[in-house]
Amino acid sequence: MWALYAREVKRFQKIWIDTVFNPIVTVGLYLGVFGVVTSGQQIGDLPYLTFVYTGLLAMLIINNSFSNPSFALVIAKNLGNIVDLQLAPIAPWRIGVAYAMAAFTRGVITLCIALLATVWFIPGLGLPEHPLYFIFALFLTGIEFGMLGVAFGFWAKNFEALTFMSTFVMQPMIFLAGVFYPVANLPSPWSTISLFNPVHHNINFFRYAFTGYSDISPIISLLVILGFSFVFFVAMQILTKKNIVLK
Amino acid sequence: MLLEVDILGMFPLRINNVSKIFKNSKGQEFKAVDGISLNIEPGKIYGLLGPNGAGKSTLINMISGLLLPNQGGIELFGLDVVKDSNKTKQLIGVVPQEIVVEMAFTVEEVLYYFSGMYGVPRHERKARIKAVLEDLDLADKMHERARNLSGGMKRRLMVAKAILHRPKLLILDEPTAGVDVSLRQRIWALIRRLNAEGTTILFTTHYLEEAEQLCEYIALVDHGHLIKSGKLKDIQQEFSKNSIHFELFDRTAAPLTGVSEVGVEYEYPITSDLATDMAKLTSHYNHNLKSIRSEAASLEHIFLKLTNSGLSS
Repeated sequence: MWALYAREVKRFQKIWIDTVFNPIVTVGLYLGVFGVVTSGQQIGDLPYLTFVYTGLLAMLIINNSFSNPSFALVIAKNLGNIVDLQLAPIAPWRIGVAYAMAAFTRGVITLCIALLATVWFIPGLGLPEHPLYFIFALFLTGIEFGMLGVAFGFWAKNFEALTFMSTFVMQPMIFLAGVFYPVANLPSPWSTISLFNPVHHNINFFRYAFTGYSDISPIISLLVILGFSFVFFVAMQILTKKNIVLK
Repeated sequence: MLLEVDILGMFPLRINNVSKIFKNSKGQEFKAVDGISLNIEPGKIYGLLGPNGAGKSTLINMISGLLLPNQGGIELFGLDVVKDSNKTKQLIGVVPQEIVVEMAFTVEEVLYYFSGMYGVPRHERKARIKAVLEDLDLADKMHERARNLSGGMKRRLMVAKAILHRPKLLILDEPTAGVDVSLRQRIWALIRRLNAEGTTILFTTHYLEEAEQLCEYIALVDHGHLIKSGKLKDIQQEFSKNSIHFELFDRTAAPLTGVSEVGVEYEYPITSDLATDMAKLTSHYNHNLKSIRSEAASLEHIFLKLTNSGLSS
């Protein structure tokens, strides 16, 4: 399992311009735009730029953790080297976990580089307000969307299916999850509907851990994250087993 | 950790009444493998032969743990391939028919991570990789990206992946399909050497000459059924009984009564005794005779006879 994990980590390191630096440039561009447009605006006690910045960081982990295993698996299916996984003496659940951990690793590495590269542009942002929650937020978000990425990667038969899910499911969920605005400010029923969006809770919990600001109770967000992590874990196990041992 | 299994005295492979049914797009069932039973003894080279679509690859995929049988059971060294799949997968090395390589990695990286997945200890990996690549004449390509290798080199890389963890049973699905003559010879030499070191070999091939060169035992499969299996020499003797085989330069020559065509060869049943019938054929065909023999039948002859005659139906 560790060899598989190491291989998947090596894979994204091999194409680091695409996998690590591309998302960081995206965060930089968002910051540039929002920094100019929203200069001086506040959300509660929090500068709007800090609010958006922490949301973008959470989005970065989610996107990277999700796309790492999903694309690797769809590529493996298309090239045919999925057979390496099917022949290997590794239990299907270990294969899923190895991919999810590699996804988490990419999410964390990308986040660290992004922080180092961009935190200087956010005035007044220091160390996380709640360090323990911050570690939880990093770990849980990375693993949760890593597992979802594994499930999607095994589910998707081709790139079209994966792109469809990324574009029409994942991206809307991320963008409507409160990265750029507090969902509590949305008119009813959208503020209520947003609470059913799992991504909202990841962003909310991450932002709370970093800045102390939260749209809803961070404990509720934590419980929702744990609940969805369990659901994604089960989905990952079922789809991994189905694709490793063929009937 | 490498798996420790006591495999002494165990049959490397026991296939017991195995069937595999597939459904086509219209929902119709199709039996790709139908009630095959076969035992493979340790330290032998087995050839699994049969025409296209005979069920060879399906059988190999079930042995490798890629497909679940609908009926029957398969044991590798006494372990069930379904219940103990992680253990059985570690005991075998498989070279699939399709050439597939990692796009991003170098040859060394491909082998390093692959051997890790099979439990080869980290401190042993580099030395094993070096040795295997030297064996397969790929040592100078170690740091080359796998995707940049030629077709033959990629085929060798697939063999390297299958043997790095030193499997007890090596399964090769058409290992020399589409490779040039010199590489084929090199792969044959490697198969012989691995076998001499104690590895049991099972391979499928379309090249009957290859099976004749390498195999001590063969199993012939057609339409999902096992139609013949056993020691190649015994089977050849069985099919040579009471017949003379010969080839002609001019195939349009008038045939002698009793002569039948089997592939590129002709067969003549011995009616009185060998010397008299040989003389009869020699005098009839005279200078048109390209070759004549009464020893063991060629595998091609056996193959055609079994797959074209009543047995396949």
